[in-house]
Amino acid sequence: MSHNHFRIALAGNANVGKSVIFNQLTGLHQHIGNWPGKTVEKAEGTLHFKGYTIDFIDLPGIYSLSTFSMEELVSREYIATEKPDLVINVVDASILERNLFFTLQLLELESPLLIALNQIDMATKKGITIDIKKAEEILGVPVVPTVAISGKGVYQMLETAIEVIEKKRKTEPLKPRYGREIEERIEDLTILLNKIQLKYPTRWVAIKLLEEDSEVEKEVFALSPEIVAAAKRMRGELEQLHGHSCPTVVTSERYHVAHMLSEEIQTITEPLKTPLSEKLHTVTTHKISGYPIMLATLLAVFIGIFSFGDFTSALLGDAFFSLKPAFDSALGTGIIGELVWGGVMEGIIGGFTVALPYILPFYFILYIFEDSGYLSRIAFLMDNLMHKMGLHGKAFIPVMLSFGCNVPGCLGCRIMETARERLLTAFVVTLVPCAATSVIILGLVGNYVGIGWALALYIINLVIIFVLGRIAFKALPGEPTELIMEMSAYRMPHIKTVANQTWFRLREFIVMAFPLIIVGSLVIKIADVINLLEPVADIMSPVTVVWLGLPAVTGIALIFGVLRKELTLIMLASLFGTANFAQVMTPVQMIVFTLVVMLYIPCVATIGALVKEFGGKKALLITVIEILLALLVGGIAYRLLTIM
Amino acid sequence: MHLPLTSLQNGETGVITATDCSSKGHQMCGHKAKKRWLKHAMTERCARRLNDLGLTPGTKVTVVKSAPFNGPLEVSVRGSRLAIGRGMAGRILVDVER
Repeated sequence: MSHNHFRIALAGNANVGKSVIFNQLTGLHQHIGNWPGKTVEKAEGTLHFKGYTIDFIDLPGIYSLSTFSMEELVSREYIATEKPDLVINVVDASILERNLFFTLQLLELESPLLIALNQIDMATKKGITIDIKKAEEILGVPVVPTVAISGKGVYQMLETAIEVIEKKRKTEPLKPRYGREIEERIEDLTILLNKIQLKYPTRWVAIKLLEEDSEVEKEVFALSPEIVAAAKRMRGELEQLHGHSCPTVVTSERYHVAHMLSEEIQTITEPLKTPLSEKLHTVTTHKISGYPIMLATLLAVFIGIFSFGDFTSALLGDAFFSLKPAFDSALGTGIIGELVWGGVMEGIIGGFTVALPYILPFYFILYIFEDSGYLSRIAFLMDNLMHKMGLHGKAFIPVMLSFGCNVPGCLGCRIMETARERLLTAFVVTLVPCAATSVIILGLVGNYVGIGWALALYIINLVIIFVLGRIAFKALPGEPTELIMEMSAYRMPHIKTVANQTWFRLREFIVMAFPLIIVGSLVIKIADVINLLEPVADIMSPVTVVWLGLPAVTGIALIFGVLRKELTLIMLASLFGTANFAQVMTPVQMIVFTLVVMLYIPCVATIGALVKEFGGKKALLITVIEILLALLVGGIAYRLLTIM
Repeated sequence: MHLPLTSLQNGETGVITATDCSSKGHQMCGHKAKKRWLKHAMTERCARRLNDLGLTPGTKVTVVKSAPFNGPLEVSVRGSRLAIGRGMAGRILVDVER
């Protein structure tokens, strides 16, 4: 890399304001993608500053550099092998000890380091004073206080970063020391390790061997199995000495070092008054006030989004359809015109009238919740309920998202820790009635059969989710992971960061879902033009007419529903030639039809999201299970309801 | 007195003596060797997660409150606040003076 082109990585715990700093630095010059072959998000951005070009990479928020999660592995590999010019460790000044535990690991990795002591204002409110000079002395690296949300200190942080990279500022990074028993063994291992070539610092590898790190063990084993055997013997000795497993011993001692450091650097005095964020925390997690507040908040969000969505969706739809005459005159009303309009354009319109009015505000509010810290409180309150279906509190977030749209719900499954949980959550998520499904439940059953029946359908759906969630939980091998998360103090969300996150998510949705919707529309339109739909509906009639007791044309509507579920209702109206469904369908038929639509298949965009996150096989499996489920439930409902 | 973290009263503080993740490592798949390996891996994972978040032996931990309906515990440890599911909290053994 040239002398004025640098690479800087931002690393740190979750919720320390890392993303805010990243956004302050790079604004819209960002690229958000995935790490190759992983479903871990990779955020990169570029900054031009005083003639320098600096590429920033925002590493995932983690607590350790072990290999517990993909996020940790990805971060560690990046720092160790890609060797950025500098790692900026963003540290939450108000939770110094835990954050220093991570800093120590960065020091062990021997990466060039700068510490951004963030949320220094929050620390002050909590009665914590930090001696910056002393911190720099002890840690041997520059420490810059910042308040990311207002941008305070960020400029100075950058200047210092450049000084460090250009070696204008001398650093003498601290080498964390452990107790004598551990140090002796690290030394012995280091001597052995010096004989082989490794891409990591030797001392770090020695420590990781004592921590029984499987990845490091694998690499060392390939070169020298004896060293791994020696490490194993040493681990046994240490376990004998301390009475705990060796990884526990090492982590304990590292935390002890972090504790001693934080004691030296910070002074804590009881704050004069309880900070507002603490009061808010108490009220919003309280056993009596917590739930009503949560319900009211979520309800307000849903009503807000749906009324905003309905209004904007109609507005956008009208605007697009006003283009039709111009289209018709340009392409003619012949077959090509019909394909372009009915296939491509209506696909795009459909995408836009969903993406902008519903998904955009949904993402925006989600990120406000996440950034402010309310999301973790919801997970805290909902943990027990989610346990009933074999998940834990965090899973409530993707489930909640899915009531808006299943696609962000599926993508949101990433927040779960293990592959098993991600898949389980995704399965549950695809059964949640999304906004489009709600349109049908309310528009068909709610309007023509009664609101009570609509409500009953929601309840049936929830029961199915719980039952199936439990079955899937029992059927998938593996131990359930339990909830364990930090509930960091409430803070003002940084609107620019939230807006950026929303925009990148929305773009991801558009890139993924639009081609599927458009191709799908085109295929169905072609089938329509060559008169293939009615034969297909006839082929489906044993299922639709005989098993489910529905009119044959519903088969066509169900095919369209694969694109977007609300299309089933629109198609039904045009196939029947009337929007007054009471004339053409019995109440039982409406209920059965709605039940089937609710469950039968994730829409094409959701299937796309499933393929992206879990691969084709699992996406197919979920799809098939849900089709069979819909037919089963629909058939049973038809028979039960006709008896009644 | 050695107790699981879950049996502490709100506001009570204990010192962690051990994290016993092994007792509930039951698996449902594979033959015996794989089963044992999986069990070992799960135990390790669980202990490491707790350790990485600062719940190491010898650490002081205060139960602030627990969510209703047998929900997770809110604990205060190393100057930070954690939510820990009840099952996992039950595997953290603490020493309490009463």
